[in-house]
Amino acid sequence: MTVMAGLATLAGSIGLYPLFESGGWFWAGLGAVLAVAGAGVLARRLRLPAVVNLLFGLAGLLLYLNLVYASDAAWLGTIPSPESVGHLGDLSESGWRAANRYAAPVPVLPGIELMTAAGIGLVAVLVDLLAVRMRRAAPAGLPLLAMYSVPAAVREDGVSWLAFGVGALGFLALLMADAREQVGGWGRTVSSFRQREVPLAGADPRPDEGSALPDAAALVASGRRIAAGAVAIAVLVPAAVPGLQPRGMFGLGGDGNGGTQTVTTPDPLVSLKRELTRLDDSVVLTYRTNDPEAPDYLRLYALDKFEGDRWTYTQLDSHPRDRLDERELPPPPGLSVASSREVTTRVRVRPEVRDMSFLPVPYAPSEVSISGDWRVDTRSLMIYSLRDSADGRAYTVTSRRAEPTIGQLAAAGNHPADIVSRYTAVPKNVPREVKQLAEQVTAGSATTLAQAVRLQRWFTLSGGFTYDLSAPAPKHGSDLVDFLLHSKRGYCEQFAASMALMARILGIPSRVAMGYTSGSEVRPGQWVVRSRDAHAWPELYFEGTGWVRFEPTPSGAGGQGTAATPEYTLPETTGGGGEGSESEPAPESSSPADNGGPAPQPSARGRNDTGETGGAAAQGDEDGGFSAAPWLAGAVLVLLLLAVPMALRTFTRRRRWAALIPRPGPASRTRPGARAGARPGSSPGAVVRAAAADPAGAAHAAWREMRADALDHGLEWRASDSPRATARRLGELLELDAEGAQALARIARAEELARYALSRSPEPPERLRADVRTVREAFAASVGRGARWRARLLPPSTMAQTWDTLQSAGNRALDATARLNELPARLRRK
Amino acid sequence: MAVGTHGESFMETDPPASHPARHGGGEASDPGLDGLAHVANKIRDAVESVIEGKPSVVRLALTVLLAEGHLLIEDVPGVGKTMLAKALARSVDCSVRRVQFTPDLLPSDITGVSAYNQELREFEFKPGPVFANIVVGDEINRASPKTQSALLECMEERQVTVDGTTYTLEPPFMVISTQNPVEMEGTYPLPEAQRDRFTARISMGYPDPAAELEMLETHGETSPLDRLTPVAHAADVRGLIDVVRRQHVSAAVRQYAIELVAATRSHPDLRLGASPRATLHLVRAARAYAALDDRDYVVPDDLQDLAVPVLAHRLLPTAEAQVDRRRPEQVVADLVRRLPVPSHGK
Repeated sequence: MTVMAGLATLAGSIGLYPLFESGGWFWAGLGAVLAVAGAGVLARRLRLPAVVNLLFGLAGLLLYLNLVYASDAAWLGTIPSPESVGHLGDLSESGWRAANRYAAPVPVLPGIELMTAAGIGLVAVLVDLLAVRMRRAAPAGLPLLAMYSVPAAVREDGVSWLAFGVGALGFLALLMADAREQVGGWGRTVSSFRQREVPLAGADPRPDEGSALPDAAALVASGRRIAAGAVAIAVLVPAAVPGLQPRGMFGLGGDGNGGTQTVTTPDPLVSLKRELTRLDDSVVLTYRTNDPEAPDYLRLYALDKFEGDRWTYTQLDSHPRDRLDERELPPPPGLSVASSREVTTRVRVRPEVRDMSFLPVPYAPSEVSISGDWRVDTRSLMIYSLRDSADGRAYTVTSRRAEPTIGQLAAAGNHPADIVSRYTAVPKNVPREVKQLAEQVTAGSATTLAQAVRLQRWFTLSGGFTYDLSAPAPKHGSDLVDFLLHSKRGYCEQFAASMALMARILGIPSRVAMGYTSGSEVRPGQWVVRSRDAHAWPELYFEGTGWVRFEPTPSGAGGQGTAATPEYTLPETTGGGGEGSESEPAPESSSPADNGGPAPQPSARGRNDTGETGGAAAQGDEDGGFSAAPWLAGAVLVLLLLAVPMALRTFTRRRRWAALIPRPGPASRTRPGARAGARPGSSPGAVVRAAAADPAGAAHAAWREMRADALDHGLEWRASDSPRATARRLGELLELDAEGAQALARIARAEELARYALSRSPEPPERLRADVRTVREAFAASVGRGARWRARLLPPSTMAQTWDTLQSAGNRALDATARLNELPARLRRK
Repeated sequence: MAVGTHGESFMETDPPASHPARHGGGEASDPGLDGLAHVANKIRDAVESVIEGKPSVVRLALTVLLAEGHLLIEDVPGVGKTMLAKALARSVDCSVRRVQFTPDLLPSDITGVSAYNQELREFEFKPGPVFANIVVGDEINRASPKTQSALLECMEERQVTVDGTTYTLEPPFMVISTQNPVEMEGTYPLPEAQRDRFTARISMGYPDPAAELEMLETHGETSPLDRLTPVAHAADVRGLIDVVRRQHVSAAVRQYAIELVAATRSHPDLRLGASPRATLHLVRAARAYAALDDRDYVVPDDLQDLAVPVLAHRLLPTAEAQVDRRRPEQVVADLVRRLPVPSHGK
């Protein structure tokens, strides 16, 4: 019983694992449990009252902790002294601080280990007291539950089913041991292996039959079944029902941090304002680049979701397979036509930087070498970590910097549907004035690029906007409207957000990127990025190039100091007049002009579609909680599962015959069916060959096949019926015609001879196979359509087979547990 | 049909009316399955000319004859038990003795007695009616158990021991007994040991109306039993028995027989299950049954058909089962329904 209580505590403590980074705590907990159990045993030996028992347990725990963590300061290394207790206090205080500092999983520091051991030890004391001393095994589950609820509450994704199962089984074992001791008080428990009786077919004993004396073994077995079933249901049901568990069905089976996790970080835009307004303008990072031109911005986030108030990014579904060291970075989306060059950047982030869980990298990263658990969001190519921070780290990024020409951008074709649906969604509550403004600003533009360029120019030059860092951070959609229509004062955030929004209104896929500008060059190839370089900018999607940075924020002294307008967005400054800029790319891309010409139209249409209906639908999708993909995958999985019995059935059928019928040539393949009624003498060769094969095997195969067919069609199959009785019964049941009756009789006779006689059936296997087919058709004709389809899709014969296998496996497992339970008793007897 | 009590003679010897033509003369060395069917069909026809409308009962009786067993015919008075026994006995040309079991019958009346021969001045053994090929014991349960026990040795060991001398009985040896159900007045129940020695117990059942009508017509003139002439010789029967002994019983069927019998031993409704001798009898009877069906191998169907007649009379129901009126016949039928037949591979 003591052992069981200890085991139950340990099993319950396994649930704590997701809180820690490594496994050292477990041994500390084990020691604590042992110490408590030992103290408990001692107290019971001395027959002390329950209160003293509790004190003994606590004393044992204290001794143990003292011995392990503060032996230096203790008397004789073991007995607690004021200093050692003080040391323990210090240690636990540091553990407390560490626990507050770190989010789970925490590193196993001595202080934390001490606290864990003490916690487990306390639970062990309570469990020991309740279950062993006071003989209340069921309430002993409460401290165990309390221990279990700690990780369940702390970790959002809960505790893995395995740990839960182990904990639950531990508690059940405790209950069982208690019950066993109680029963044992009345006498010796009888060995409870279930005896296997004569296997009577359909043996459902009448209720008065077995009631003569209560069968203890059956009781024990059913008790175990109930317990195992309850645990299994508790584990499986939440996994099977989507919505009860964030991970759903498909995350099952991974280890604790193996499942997909949702990444939540503070709103990036809030930190942007804080960075920009920092007085000290400290250095955030330095980097060295081999880019001969001005290096690209360093991007932290890509905000792809605008829900009326502010730009955010779609929740990241993080998965271990997204780790940088485990996968290649995906190619930048959409980059196919435009040329690109490879840029290598060596970044060193200053150690003072806090909470940088996203890596600033130039777009589009193709290779990142950094230590730690860094993962990539495959859609946006953001690099992030769930537990590491970039502070003080150095890493190398290889990125592909697209170099689109104006012609390429102007000739960009239709956007892919997934890009359109994701990046052109505009919420309904955007005021009409903003839409009109967008149309008005870009009126007369022939291409998407022209629209974008006009927007940018409007923001930077013609719109009358003023860069003003003191403007309040936009909190609501109305703030943006105010910025656009009235105040026209803001900083990069307003500019970027507005331009991205207007681009969406115009049907151009857009998002807001956040990060840092390229900073300032201190030495050739050496760049420094300060906190004032924090920046936000819009990225617009052009097919063939991918995401293209625009810069609506005024740069220079009157704006974002280090912002740089990309070259390809400046046709006006180079080309002069607005109309000229419009026509300028046209000759360069004379051939794609045909493609480029209609491009805005589809995209505008796309905007209409997605803006009104698709956008709303996309919105609804995201808000509804379930996206279609998992359901679709689930449906496919269900279909696959449904197809399994059918496939198994076909496979069994094939296998049964494959061994018996020497693979016929392609010509003779169709013959057995064709000459089902022919006399065997008509092809003596086949008869001889079949006879040389295994006639008994053929008969058995035919018989089993027929049995499976009968079961599939829902016909009763009695185990107590011999072949001839079965044939007789089926024949009467189905009212077979002469041919069917003969086929049935032949199969039955062949099987009977094979089973019971010395002689063998002269029927060749091909003939029997044809007979089986005839009979199967008769079966199918005799039942309704529903049964026919069930026979095809969900053959019960296969199901029964599977069920039998499962059941026998379950029985074996039960037997094993029964033997395991007997073990202590038997050892004691010896 | 025949009435239950034949009071005309205490001990009666049926003289064979006429000898049938023998097959090829002498002992039929090996009639084979075809010969068996031929002879068996003749016997069956002969018996059925007397017992109308009861083919399954006749077949069972013939099965027991070929299985070297003894037959117990149990039914209410007046349904033709004695008629069946006599018809079967008469269709085979062999020595037939008839014993009318009465309450005052003594064991020595059955086995024989050593009498003092005054002329030879020595004891001389006078063989009793058991010294015959077929012994018809009529109303066997009207004799006291003491007298019934006289049959124990001869039925099982086919020998009689009187005054220390053992006399062997000549094969074929078959006891056909009739009895009224034990609920009838003036009957003693057969001891378990005795019942276990009967291979099968069959009951006649009332004839259907058509058969009964025909019976009225045929019995109007003369008894059909009188017109019955033997159709087979004792040697023929011995040959048939040899054929039956060579019938193939596969391991699977043997296993099935064992399982069937074993199931009666552990059945909660039964106080006494079937004995190993029952297993033996069951398989032997199944051999004969298969041979009558023109098969040289035994199938589980044979065992299933024979299970109730061969096993049921040996079983003792528990008190509870008796109260609930669950008869051993039902128990055996239930077992047959539930026990899976052996498939291949065993």
